[in-house]
This record gives sequence, structure tokens and C-alpha cells, in this order.
Amino acid sequence: MSKIDSVKKNIEAGKKLVKDIESLEKIRLQFLGKKGQITDLMKGLGELNPEERKSHAEELNNIKNDLNNFISLKSETFDDEELSKQLSSEKLDLTLVSQITEGRIHPITQVIDEVIAIFADLDFCIAEGPEVETDYNNFTALNTSENHPARQMHDTFYVNSKTDEMPNVLRTHTSPVQIRSMLKGKPPFRLIAPGKTFRCDNDQTHTPMFHQVEGLVIDKNSNMGHLKGCLETFLREFFETSSPKMRFRPSHFPFTEPSAEVDIGYKKDGNQIIIGEGDSWLEILGCGMVHPNVLKNVNIDPNEYQGYAFGVGIERLAMLKYGISDLRTFYDNDLRWLKHFGFVPLDIPSISGGLSR
Amino acid sequence: MKFTIDWLKEHLETKATDTEIINKLTAIGLEVEEVIDAVALYGDFIIGEVVKEEKHPNADKLKICKVNIGNKIVDVVCGAPNVTKGMKAVYAPPGSTIPVNQMKLKVAKIRGVESSGMLCSEYELGISELHEGIIQMPEDSKVGSSYVDQMNLDNIMIEIGITPNRQDCLGVYGIARDLSAAGLGNLKELEVPKIQSKYKNPISTTFEKKADQKSCYAFGSRYIKNVKNCESPQWLKDKLTSIGLKPISALVDVTNYILFDYNRPLHVYDADKINGNIVVRSARKNEAFFGLDDKEYSLEEGMCVISDDKTALGLGGILGGISSSCDLDTKNVLLESALFSPENTANTGRKLFIDSDARYRFERGVDANSLNIGLDKAALLIQEICGGEISDTEICGNIPTETKEIPFDLIKNSSRLGIEIDQSEIEKILNKLGIKNKKNNNILLCTIPSWRHDIHGEADLSEEVIRIKGFDAIPVLPIRTENKINEVILSRTYKNNLRSKRFLAQRGGNELVTWSFSSSKDSKFYSNNQRLKIKNPISEDLDILRPSLIPNLLTAIKKNISRGFDSFSIFEVGSQFTSDTPGDQKNIACGLKSGIKTEKNWNSQKVDFDSYDVQADILALVNHLMAKNKNIEIKTGAPDWYHPGRSASLIINKDTVLGYFGELHPKIIKHHKIKNRVLAFELFIDEVPLSSKKTTNKESYFESDFQTVDRDFAFIVNKDVEAKTMINLPFKADEKLVKNVQIFDVFEGEAIGNDKKSLAIKVTLQASDRTLNETEIQDVSKKIVDLIQQKTAGVVRS
Repeated sequence: MSKIDSVKKNIEAGKKLVKDIESLEKIRLQFLGKKGQITDLMKGLGELNPEERKSHAEELNNIKNDLNNFISLKSETFDDEELSKQLSSEKLDLTLVSQITEGRIHPITQVIDEVIAIFADLDFCIAEGPEVETDYNNFTALNTSENHPARQMHDTFYVNSKTDEMPNVLRTHTSPVQIRSMLKGKPPFRLIAPGKTFRCDNDQTHTPMFHQVEGLVIDKNSNMGHLKGCLETFLREFFETSSPKMRFRPSHFPFTEPSAEVDIGYKKDGNQIIIGEGDSWLEILGCGMVHPNVLKNVNIDPNEYQGYAFGVGIERLAMLKYGISDLRTFYDNDLRWLKHFGFVPLDIPSISGGLSR
Repeated sequence: MKFTIDWLKEHLETKATDTEIINKLTAIGLEVEEVIDAVALYGDFIIGEVVKEEKHPNADKLKICKVNIGNKIVDVVCGAPNVTKGMKAVYAPPGSTIPVNQMKLKVAKIRGVESSGMLCSEYELGISELHEGIIQMPEDSKVGSSYVDQMNLDNIMIEIGITPNRQDCLGVYGIARDLSAAGLGNLKELEVPKIQSKYKNPISTTFEKKADQKSCYAFGSRYIKNVKNCESPQWLKDKLTSIGLKPISALVDVTNYILFDYNRPLHVYDADKINGNIVVRSARKNEAFFGLDDKEYSLEEGMCVISDDKTALGLGGILGGISSSCDLDTKNVLLESALFSPENTANTGRKLFIDSDARYRFERGVDANSLNIGLDKAALLIQEICGGEISDTEICGNIPTETKEIPFDLIKNSSRLGIEIDQSEIEKILNKLGIKNKKNNNILLCTIPSWRHDIHGEADLSEEVIRIKGFDAIPVLPIRTENKINEVILSRTYKNNLRSKRFLAQRGGNELVTWSFSSSKDSKFYSNNQRLKIKNPISEDLDILRPSLIPNLLTAIKKNISRGFDSFSIFEVGSQFTSDTPGDQKNIACGLKSGIKTEKNWNSQKVDFDSYDVQADILALVNHLMAKNKNIEIKTGAPDWYHPGRSASLIINKDTVLGYFGELHPKIIKHHKIKNRVLAFELFIDEVPLSSKKTTNKESYFESDFQTVDRDFAFIVNKDVEAKTMINLPFKADEKLVKNVQIFDVFEGEAIGNDKKSLAIKVTLQASDRTLNETEIQDVSKKIVDLIQQKTAGVVRS
């Protein structure tokens, strides 16, 4: 028997002994390792004559390839067996659920964000002002003199312990932000001012603090037609309805002339409020052309500039859009209510993504 | 302002239906708030006579009444103490609805006795608050007739809201004028009475000082002698009850009628109770006055009083006095029709907290020309009902006569309203409102009538025109701009507010919105500044501007504990105040955590929130708001409202406080009656630095690709050595090579001594231009150990 044949025989015998990854490695070393039987024979090829060398080399290569194939096949099988053994021992019951912590955004924040998204798209900027205001900014500059009956209607909260000064007020509306913004800049103006407002009133339908958003547009030609266009666009976008029904009613605000209140048409279907249908009306905002006296008070010539202003109650918007029936619940801070009416943190209203889901 | 459609039609000739009238009122700015159809409300009620009453066998306070209702006699169980045999009452049959509570009546057994229907009190009919006894109808009421017929209620009552500028519509006549301008019919001509008086008013009027004319422009009066005061005739009583007023006596009812009909406040004095003559004057300091509302007032100088030679008889334009009031024995009267200044009336009313129909009108401005007409109308009506002889009119002061003229530019009007309205239409609207106008090119010269105190300029005239024409006519115009007006939409501080909210909610926080007020009791721990007090708080619990967001959030926690919650992660982003001056407010993001962080469950034990959770919140939030925050450090210690040993401050740029965090002081938690520890953080959003120049470019980028090496060290140090020190020192040992330092173990125990602790750090080393060799690593390590040992007096733990 040639050396090659005996190696062949040894290989066949070795193969039969392979039962796991270790024994497989053993025969690899036995034949293909540095001192393996095939390796030895390969080393000895140099001593043969050219013809023998060629035929031996060919045969040895075949044997080597066969063995390599055997080894890789076997090792794959053993890996698979190993893995399935591991898998059968690893088991998690994923119907057990771990605690998920995610907070909620208050509806007031959500609605203000919606309003901002709409008006930002219409080229309005967001103006800010303090919650404590001077009497002048809150009333006088807004054409509401000291004895104006509208002052009584406002149920103002007063602060200021210095008796010799005019008391400051907690702003009764967001309109003083108009004054601050116009004093600071130059026309044209196109802004909204969302924020907290305060009135000394506390019952089923009033809370001492609530939120408004003020709007102001001043330029050389904005008129009541634009005011209508502005509010129609806003209500259409906000209520996400193609055709909001609107009704302008003459009203009175000292700082606008002409003034109007706007009602929105709705229908009640069970507990649902459907905006844009039916023939019930709900007052939703006040608006008008900015009074010439207001412009004069902020050093703007009313013969050159004109424009409109409006004010909307944020809670009222939230109640209508999201079916919240009780104003007082906004300030109850009941975590169950927040879970129900609050918003998922990353539901950020945008024009591209839509205001609501 | 209440009126009935019948009353309105006394002034307005119209074919319009009730619905048309109601819709038009709202459309022209006289917003209809309520419509009460008396027939719908009271149509089922019948006049019944109690023919027999006996005690209920099973109830002491109840009676069984046999009630004759015309066609039959019914049994009614009644609990009213005033029910007696022979009494005429208002009977509500089964099937009818009780107005006050919308209860539908059924035949029912009351304590075992069947009762069909009930006898009603004024309260049940929604007329007044009286519910002690049932209504006693006049003896001549017809048994079996309907209550509506008996009371002449067959009309529709409308209540409208009048905006403060429209004092001219505080009388039915003014409303009729507005409706007629809006094309709903013709305003009937006002009858101006003529009185032939045979004698001079015996009571003269003077102003005490010239200055008193500033608060009372004119005081007119007529004397009527030999009157016989009585109950008002039925038509007058019906008028007043139809708008919810209580008839008192003819003299008083007449003045009320003229007030609501013609919008003219009047007052009637019992002339025999006047001592001498009338003096219009300023009140004396602390002068006592007894009002018709049965209250005593202490007056101040400057308040306008109508006085006789001795005492104040009335508060001008606001309230009459008891001392000169009329009763059924009154024989001679002085009838007042005056003109008080809006400012003085408003001031006095506000100071004394008196709301009256007269004040309401005078502070909004009363038509000067109504002084004489109203006086004469009332005098004649009194004479008609009570007899007597009318004197001439005494007028003290001057009735203002100047008229206001406004040039109304029609081109500007179009550019204001966004619609061109035919000039003829504008003229017609103005004329019907009583605004006379003359054309001159594009200008209408308008003369404002005496009853309109609210028209001062062109914008007001535009409002009149469009109010009557209707806003529907204005076309809707697009408002998108061609060129951007605003460079910046949201200020960066505002953006930080919004981002904080979303970020904290995403970290598990629930956003609350609490009052900007707080209670001084809860807030005393944060500030004692007296300049936060609200002068007229709505309640004791909300008496100051909040100096901190924490107390309101603690109150919310307490409330939710009682709702069954035991785990809290809440926050608010809002303002807190440092004084009562505008602008002295700070934007704060404040988060509170308390109770259970993780419930005991299948893979972990129960874990409570601790100070490290709020630390993580504030640090993560700061990271979110400012990506580059190299100059931030944590300093042990925070203000008094925190636990002294478990709190810290966040400092930026060496000395600016960015926020606080840690455990709230146990005494505050106890004050709120909360048992668990509460952790809090406060971030001053205004202090978050905004880079001076906005650039979208990031800083230049470089990271080394050479190998990093980690080396661990452990030191035993005194307990008061802060982790911060341990982290900072390696960087100081070699600024170039030390890339990161982390604490991976903290150990305390007797083995190393009770005043010691072991801190273990992992230091990451890397060079930017080469792989470090062993010698270099050894050198840096030695520098680190030496420096830490030197600075902390610690030793390497072996």
C-alpha cells in the first residue's frame, strides 16, 4: 500500500470518529496541521521525479480538498446543533410587559402650538409680554379711559403695594402685547401673542386665569375683508374643516372700531361637536379694525396706517376641537384627565405633518 | 335690557315676525341673550280656588286641598303654610312642566294620598326666589281661567346684551330706532307732551358751589301737588312684570316705566319730607346716607349728593334715599330729571359698590335732550293716575346743547371696510339712525344726535354703516404676503419654553398648568416679599403672585394622592414673580418627582424616585436646550426650600445660576401633608445662554483615530471629597492626553473607616498624533495619582 493509500484509509477511519466540534478539530490537526499526515506527504513531494511529483500532488490536493469540504460541512452542522441547543434553552415570556413611562402635554400647550403653526405659516411672528401689566398698557393705551364702563366688565386683579402709584394689574387680556410690540418696532406689523390672562371671576364657566391669543396686523391697506380672510383661514385650518361657518356680529371693544364678535356654526351629535355644520352658533372670538386712538397712542399715524386685531380664547378652542365640556377641568390638574385629554409628547403640530393626528 | 315684543311695537310699526325681529337684533349688535315665550312657559297653568283644606293624615306639615279648577274639583297635597280655604292660587295640572326645574308633573301619591298636580310658589314659576308660600291670586281672578290670560302674559320677552357704548338702546324706544334703521319698520313719532302749568315750582334748586356743576350738569324738577298715590293700573303693572320688575306704587312705577321705555332716569321725592330747598353738592367727609336699598353708606367728598337744607336725600344719578321716599300716603311730590356726569357717577358707584339702573345709564351717558321730555311724560302720567296739579319746570345748571360734527370721508370708509357701499345707501342708514348728513365731494358732513355718546370719529361712523348693512356684505380677501414681514417667528426663549415642555413630557413628565397665583401660606418658604400681594384676591388660597412654581405643583400632588396616585412625575413651564412690577417675572421649567419610580414587578424590586432622577432630568434638559454646555458645573447646596444635604445648584459660566435640584425640604413636604419625599428641579430658562450670532454651521470637527487606553484607579479619601473633584483632577494632570474620566465605583464601609470613602475612576487616554507607548502611559498615570493624592489628601486603595 502506498503512503497515500494508507493516509486515505486513515482519513476514512478518522472521519468515523468525528462526533463533535472537538473531534473534528482533532482530525484537522491530524491530517492538515503543521505536522499532519497530508502536510508531511506534501513536504516529501520535492524528492520525487517530475512525473510522480505531478500525479502525487494532484492526488494529495484532491484528498486535501475532500477533507476540507468534509470539515467545513461538519463544522456547520455542529454550529447549527449548538445554536439550536442554545435557542431551546433561552426563552423569554414577552407577554410580560415592563413599565412604560411617557408623560402628556397639557391641551392648553397643544392648542397654543397649533395656533402658532397656523399663523407662522401666514407670516405672523409670536410676540410676548408680561403677565403683570401697567394700568396704562392694559387699559388707557387701548382707548379704555379710567371711567370707561368696559373696565368694570373686566373684573381686574390689582397688585402694587405702593399706595402713591397707580396700581398695576394682572393683564385682563393679551391686548397690551399689541401696545408693547408697536412701541418697540415700526409698521408693518403682523403678530400673534398667546398667553395667560386674568379676571377676578370664578364659577362654572369662568376661571380666574385663562389663556388668549391676540392677533394684530398693521400696514397701509389691511381692511375688514382681510380680517375676514384671516379669521376664515385660521378657523378652517384650526378646525381642520374645509368650510367653517362663520357669523360676524357687531359688538364693542374700546380698542377696535368697527368691532365684531365672531360666532362659529356647529352641530351637536350626541356628545360630539361638529364644526361647520348645523345651525347652532357659538361665540368664539372678538375682533375689529384697530381704533385710530390706539395707533396714536403708539405714535403711528392713523391716516397712513390701519389694520385689524382679534382675540381668541384658547380654552374655548380646545373645548370645541377636542370635546372638553368643562372649563374648570383645565386647572384641576387631575392626572386621570391629563391622561385622557393630554397629548403625546412628540405630537408636535405642524403644517406639513398636520395639526392633529 | 329686557322688553317684550308688544312693548317694542308701541314704538315700531312693523310687519316683521318675532323671529325676524330676534335675528335682526343680534345682527345689528343688540345680541339677544334670552327669549322667553310666556305662553310656552306658563300656558298650562290654571287659576284654581281652594274650596276645602284638611290636615294630611300621615304628615304634620302637609294639607289635602280640594281645588276648584272650573270644570272639576281636584285633590292636591300642598305643604305651603299660607294655603287657606277660599284662596285663589296657581294650579299646575299633571302633564305640565314646572319652569324652575323643568320637572314634568304626574299624578302621584304623597305619603299615601293621591295628589293630582300642585299649587305653585313664585319660585317654582321662576318669577322670584320666594318659595315660603304659594302665590295668592287677587280675589277677583276667574276660577278655571288660564294664568297667562289672568296675568296678561301673552307676549314674548326678549333680553338683549347691551355693549357699553350703546347706552342709547337702554330704553325700548332706542331699540325701536335701531331696528327701524335696519329696515325692520318705521319708528313711530315720539309724542312730546305739552304741559300748561298754573304755578311755579315752590322748591328751588341751587348748586352749593360752582364746581358741583361738573358732577351734575343740570337738575330739572317739577312739583306735583295733591296727588293720591295708589296701586298702579293693571296695564302699568303688567308692563313692569312683563320684564321682571315688581310694581311698587303708581308714583314709583311711573318713573320705572319712563326709565325702561324712554331710557330716562327719574326720581320722585315726597315733597313734604324735604326740608326747605334742594341743594346739589358734594358729600361731606363721612356723611351718612340711608339708601332705598336699606343700606347705610358713609360718603366721601366729591360724591354728588342731592340734598335739602339739612341732609342728603339721594346719591345723584345712583340711588334715592329713605328719608324722602314716597309711600301710599304721599300727597305732594317733587319729580327730578337731571343730568349727571359719567365720571362722577362711575366713581361714586364703584367706591360704594352700588349697581343701579340709574348708575348704569348715567355712567354710559344719558341723552341731554331727554331731560325735559322725560320729566314731562312722567309728570303727565302721574297726573293721569294719581291726579294733582303740575308746577312749571325748575332747571338749575345748563343742558348741554353743542352738537358734534364729523366729516366722513367715503373713500377712506371703503378702504377701512373693504367694500364700496353706494353713497345713497350710506346716507339712508345714517339718516334713519338720526345722524343728519350733508354731502361735500367725497365727504359727508355728519351731525351726531344727542343720544349717541359713542360716535367720535370716522371709524365710529364706518361701524354704524356696516353694523346696519351687515358684515356678510364684506368680501373675504386673501392675506398671504408676497414679501416676508417677520424675520424671526419665535424668540429663542419662547422656543426654549416649548422645547422644554415636549422634552420633559418625553422623559415621562406630565405637564400641568397651575395658577400664576398662589397662597401666601404655601409660598412663605420661597419668598416673603410683600410686593407680591394681590389687592383683591379671589380667595385666601390665591392671594399672591407665585414666587415659585413648586407650591402649586405640591398642591397638585396632594390632590392626586387623594385620587389614588402613588407615583408622580409632573412639571410645569411658566412664570414666577419677583415683584409686582411688569417684567419682574422669570420663565421656569420646574419638575417634581415623588413616590414610586418602578413598581415591584417580575424583573425588579420597587424603586422610589430619588435626587439623581431630578438631576438626570435637569442635566438632560440643559443638554437638550444647549448642545455645547462646557461651562456648566454642579455646586453642592441650594436655597432653603431644599434639603440642606441633598440638593445642588447648576452654575454656568462661573457665577450664573441656571437652576437647582434635589430633595425638597422635609418641613415643606410636611406643610403640604405629603408623606413621601419629593424631589424637584427648577431651571431658569431665561438664563440659558443664547449665542450672540445665529449660525447654522457647527464647530470644526476633529477626532483622533489612534488607539485609546483605559486605566482604572481607586482612592480612599475623606467623605466630603466630591465626585466632581475626582473627575476634574485627571484633566488637570494632563490636558492633552486625558480624554474622559468616569467614576465607576463608590464604596463606604467600616473596613476603610467611617469618615472615608473609596472612589474608583476609569481614565481614558488618547493622543491625537500617535499610539501611546507603555512609558508614556506610566508617566501620565503617575501624574494623575500624585495630583489626586496631593489635592485630596487621599491614598491609592491597594
